[in-house]
Amino acid sequence: MSAATAAPGRIVVDYDDDIVRKFFLATVIWGVVGMLVGVIIALQLAWWPANLGLPWTTFGRLRPLHTNAVIFAFAGNICFTGIYHSMQRLLKTRMWSDTLSKIHFWGWQLIIVSAAITYPLGITQSREYAELIWPIDVAVTLIWVVFAINFFGTLAIRKVKHIYVAIWFYMSFVITIAVLHIVNNLAMPATFLRSYPIYSGMTDALVQWWYGHNAVWFFLTTPFLGLMYYYLPKAADRPIYSYRLSIIHFWGLIFLYIWAGPHHLLYSGLPDWAQTLGMVFSIMLLAPSWGGMLNGLLTLKGAWHKLRTDPILKFMVVGVTFYGMSTFEGPMMSIRSVNGLAHFTNWVVGHVHSGALGWNGMLTFAVLYWLLPRLWNREVAYPKMVTQHFWLATIGIVIYTVAMWAAGLMEGLQWRAVNDAGQLANPIFIDIVHRLEPFYWLRLLGGTLYFVGAVMMLINVFKTIRGPERVAAAAPATAPAS
Amino acid sequence: MSKETNRVLGHADEADGIEEYDNPLPDWWLGLLWFTVIWAFGYGVWYHFISDRSQEGKLAAEMQAAELRWPEQAMAEVSFAITPEAVAAGEGIYVQNCLMCHGGDLEGGIGVALNDDEWIHGGEPEDVIRIINEGVPEKGMLTWGPILGPEKVNQVAAYVLSKNAELVGE
Repeated sequence: MSAATAAPGRIVVDYDDDIVRKFFLATVIWGVVGMLVGVIIALQLAWWPANLGLPWTTFGRLRPLHTNAVIFAFAGNICFTGIYHSMQRLLKTRMWSDTLSKIHFWGWQLIIVSAAITYPLGITQSREYAELIWPIDVAVTLIWVVFAINFFGTLAIRKVKHIYVAIWFYMSFVITIAVLHIVNNLAMPATFLRSYPIYSGMTDALVQWWYGHNAVWFFLTTPFLGLMYYYLPKAADRPIYSYRLSIIHFWGLIFLYIWAGPHHLLYSGLPDWAQTLGMVFSIMLLAPSWGGMLNGLLTLKGAWHKLRTDPILKFMVVGVTFYGMSTFEGPMMSIRSVNGLAHFTNWVVGHVHSGALGWNGMLTFAVLYWLLPRLWNREVAYPKMVTQHFWLATIGIVIYTVAMWAAGLMEGLQWRAVNDAGQLANPIFIDIVHRLEPFYWLRLLGGTLYFVGAVMMLINVFKTIRGPERVAAAAPATAPAS
Repeated sequence: MSKETNRVLGHADEADGIEEYDNPLPDWWLGLLWFTVIWAFGYGVWYHFISDRSQEGKLAAEMQAAELRWPEQAMAEVSFAITPEAVAAGEGIYVQNCLMCHGGDLEGGIGVALNDDEWIHGGEPEDVIRIINEGVPEKGMLTWGPILGPEKVNQVAAYVLSKNAELVGE
């Protein structure tokens, strides 16, 4: 870039795109791996011999592998991809330290590999979405601190005064995940592989779900809203609909969200007042959550015609719509009486996946396809395949979600049904499990369609980056000279 | 939404070229926000202070309603006695539900043998009734109480105890 020149009064900014490409490829690869494990465990639920009779391949051990791979490897890496790419451009500066960027990248991938080794061996601390044992938890903390130092270091050396809304969302991600991870994993190590949590009983459950629910928010929603606020207006080439709305809904979410965890513990040993708190804060989250959807969809006003031809905008619109749908479903499910029916059923699984496949997955694909030609300065090898991927993924999500809604409602109603004599109408649990099988096969079909789409993306990415480079190089980025 | 001004804020140079409008909050969105906030406070006050609810209270109310609806279940103090009628009825229940695991002659199989004088969980009638009612879930035995109901549990216990006495030869 030394040959690049800038207009008088401006300097050339040399962004670090190498780190972005690394995180990009990690996202694509871990995404396919995580979804493959998802397809395998979906098959195991429909057809038990797929457990293979080996301890390492049973559902109980592969399920945390699936959840961790898609949340922390697939979603985590796309957050880092988008953050490293967009924050340099939004702040008009290269990352504060390339070394820290590299430590962050390799450290994070190493943590994922260690999870992929320990879970099948049954080495976990049995906390949902926080199964990693204490030595790996310590590694996560150290790597997160490295990321945080680099993040705030970059913020400190920014060349602009105004901090764009996407950066606010990224900041809440960096800070809150650190707090959640550390507090939930406080434990007394006993051996290298085993530890005991410092909380016990109901307190432990409450801390776990304070973490569990906020991980969904501060890992799978705030950074993704940040990505939406950068990549959606970029892809649509439209101004953000309302600056005011973005600020109000950001602070609304930050204030309200952290209280919603107890809705996972309705009808439990948790005191009634704490249950009420979890429920009402979840209800109050509806409008602030929808603020993000509104700002996304209204930003596309005047660009709807582009939707017909641009698969990236298609991915974004479906993603934002699923976000709106699952942030409506969530508050509804946290109402006491609705939760009494929905809790522990497949409805919860459907809810989680409409968020994960619909919102996180679709937005991730949009960002990846938008970045692909720009990061490697190459034309996408199979442009039609992008649209095919979109349709496979969309149809897959619909089949998956509908199957799980039906299965969950059926289970919930049959568990509580009472006959005329006042006895349980379905006293034998396994009978109801057998009735779920058709829905499990449908879910496998939906999940497989989604997975095939991701494999097509993988092929497209690797074909593209091996293709010929564009002749014209992009104009260098510049910033006002300080 | 007619209040849209589409006035550009002019931050674009500091946001990598992304413009932002300064449009007001949509009325219905703001209405939804205030509605949920007022509802949240109203619900909390109503639940805890006005109607004084709790999950224990809810359970008690449900149990009371059930007792009113099924009065005979509520006083299901079914008496236990080894009578020929009870043993005969119990045999039918045994063949249908228990034989698969405990065998046609109480010799056991998937479940433990019941044809000897060894009782892992106690051999008094109340022990046998309790085990049938509660099952041994960790060993795969179902909790038969809610499936059979108290009368049938007593009958099948009567059958098992009388057949056992016959086989052991007291």
